Amino acid sequence: MREGLVATAPAGWVVLGAALLGGAVVLGAVLDGVLTARSVGGGTRGGALAPAHEVARLLRQRRRTTVSADLLLWRIGGGGLLVLALLKVVVVPLGSWTLADLSAGIVWFNAMDVTVWALVWLAGWGPNAALSLVGAYRFLAQGLAYELPLMFALTAPAVAAGSLRVADVEAAQQGLWFVLWMPVAFVVYCIAVLGFAVWGPLAPAAGPDLAGGVLGETSGIDRLLLLTGRYALLAAGAAFAVPLFLGGGAGPLLPAWAWVLVKTLVLLGAFVVVKRRLPTLRPDRFVEVGWLVLLPAVLVQVLVVAVVAVGRG
Amino acid sequence: MGMSDVLARAAVRRAHVLVVEVPGWWGTRVAVEQAMVARGWRPALSPADADVLLVCGRPGERLAAAVDRVWDQVPGPRTRGSVRDPAHADAALGAAAADLLDSGRQQDDAAGRSEAGGPDHGDMDHGDMDHGDMDHGDMDHGDMDHGDMDHGDMEMAPGGIPLAGGDEDRDGLEMDVLRVPLGPVLPLWPAGLVLRCTLAGDVVTGAEAEVLAASNAPAVHQDPSATSAARRCDEAATVIALAGWDDAATAARHVRDGLLAGGDTSGAARSLLRLRARVARSRTLRWSVRGLGVLGDTGVTTDADDGPAGRTGRDVLDRLLGMLDGALADVGAPAPHDRRARPDAMSTAEALAALPSLIAGLDLAAVRLVVASLALDTARVEPTREATGA
Repeated sequence: MREGLVATAPAGWVVLGAALLGGAVVLGAVLDGVLTARSVGGGTRGGALAPAHEVARLLRQRRRTTVSADLLLWRIGGGGLLVLALLKVVVVPLGSWTLADLSAGIVWFNAMDVTVWALVWLAGWGPNAALSLVGAYRFLAQGLAYELPLMFALTAPAVAAGSLRVADVEAAQQGLWFVLWMPVAFVVYCIAVLGFAVWGPLAPAAGPDLAGGVLGETSGIDRLLLLTGRYALLAAGAAFAVPLFLGGGAGPLLPAWAWVLVKTLVLLGAFVVVKRRLPTLRPDRFVEVGWLVLLPAVLVQVLVVAVVAVGRG
Repeated sequence: MGMSDVLARAAVRRAHVLVVEVPGWWGTRVAVEQAMVARGWRPALSPADADVLLVCGRPGERLAAAVDRVWDQVPGPRTRGSVRDPAHADAALGAAAADLLDSGRQQDDAAGRSEAGGPDHGDMDHGDMDHGDMDHGDMDHGDMDHGDMDHGDMEMAPGGIPLAGGDEDRDGLEMDVLRVPLGPVLPLWPAGLVLRCTLAGDVVTGAEAEVLAASNAPAVHQDPSATSAARRCDEAATVIALAGWDDAATAARHVRDGLLAGGDTSGAARSLLRLRARVARSRTLRWSVRGLGVLGDTGVTTDADDGPAGRTGRDVLDRLLGMLDGALADVGAPAPHDRRARPDAMSTAEALAALPSLIAGLDLAAVRLVVASLALDTARVEPTREATGA
């Protein structure tokens, strides 16, 4: 078994981590703006600037509250998504550096991901509005469908590497990326990323049929935080897939840290592209898929991985 | 030019518009949507998301009152306007943009609101029909007429919002129920329709439908065939947008706009055929909406999504494909599958009457899809018409 060698960067480098995450968020939003403009009409340049205009609009817009709103919990739900995304990326090694070299980094990521449940639910609960709350519960229903498959999808690379430490998992992929021999786990992981980022086909919690659902009552800076938090979670999900399935910093020519960024952005781009192309999966039907298709499939995947790992060991 | 001006200019390039369509002003609403695309503006999904509240048409008294309530919830900087003619759509957006940029005026508006103490949320005027707006925050807008509610006791109505009453849900379990109105100001929703729903969780257990009419609607006349085809494309775009499929909904709107612009219909027919094939091919869409809102031959409903009727009957997907086939027929192209019935086989009044029983027991997502799939032309309903049930 190879030990992954990473050095823990001093705490001050967290700022760089946050800046990189912010950069990924901006690129994701620009890509979405361009794709939307190309589809709806309105010019590529306007589309690329759309996120900037949207931010200006939300900074200028007044915040608003509703009658008997649970302000504290509402604000926690709104601002928390961004914090969680930051907490997720601290365990992602960037080349030979990482911000937090936890011995159970994968469990850490999973714990942060489960916390998303609470925050999205709070964001829907806070405004004391029926459609927001329906959106919040939709997210929980959807969570029931994707969370368990996600846990097993995270288990597969850990079993293969014999470690829960992210750097060890990355090191275990020398020669053969995990995505190639555990594709089911990778696909399930990607579906779950769309789920916890409330994104695209897995965004019924913020759907147009609920007048925006968990987003529906927010305005101004509160809305900006929620929208940014969604992108940040999407980017964090893409970044974590790199050491887990995509060989980490492995690749020709470029230094390892650059490969991590490139792979992250490519995966993030794929997530953004999917958004407009697929209809929403309604939670009541997605639960069927989660339990009858995704869960058995990923369990078989873990079994195969475990047998291979025992055979090699 | 100060920082706030720079911010304002950037913000106005991306204004979000909450468009209110009054029954009978379909063409004006579409013209506004086209003008919005040209400016890079976006539709708002809720009052909180809106900078501009734009009323298309001349609303009747009750619809106007509902619009006023929605206006109270728009956060600001905000502006409202009214368009009554498709030709004036872009001018109305231009005026809205100027208004949003006028910092002095926006400051006056904000100051006026804080003095007034905001919208009057504390009142408990149950049964007031004017309140059927989309204010999901304020439960006092739905009429809470459960026998177990003590209306005089403020403890039972914190903040003026009555607590949920108890009732049996579709499975016979005791559940909290809320009375929540859908409409009349709701994007991707039939103009002027109010659906007063009784909700157990997100499941509609009962509903009353009503149309809030225009004050004097333009005469309803037979559309020329290109307009009729465009209308069907718009109906299809609404269903697809509610299913969350942005790209296909946009494609349907492009066909609609092409048809309204006039000219060559053969190009439109080709785009329509492509769109229809794409919709028919989408497994995700089929899987997501199959068996919803099945209407039998007699208009009697069968339960969703189980039994052979659920799969072979006329469900949301059939009606969606029927809209596209209808549009194809209007532009003179043969529909690939003639077995699909046209969606207007049932009149709007009949559909309204069938609506409550059709949606009882469905969750809100399904309700929205079913309502959109019925393509209610609320301009053709008698103003006093009221359909109740379930």
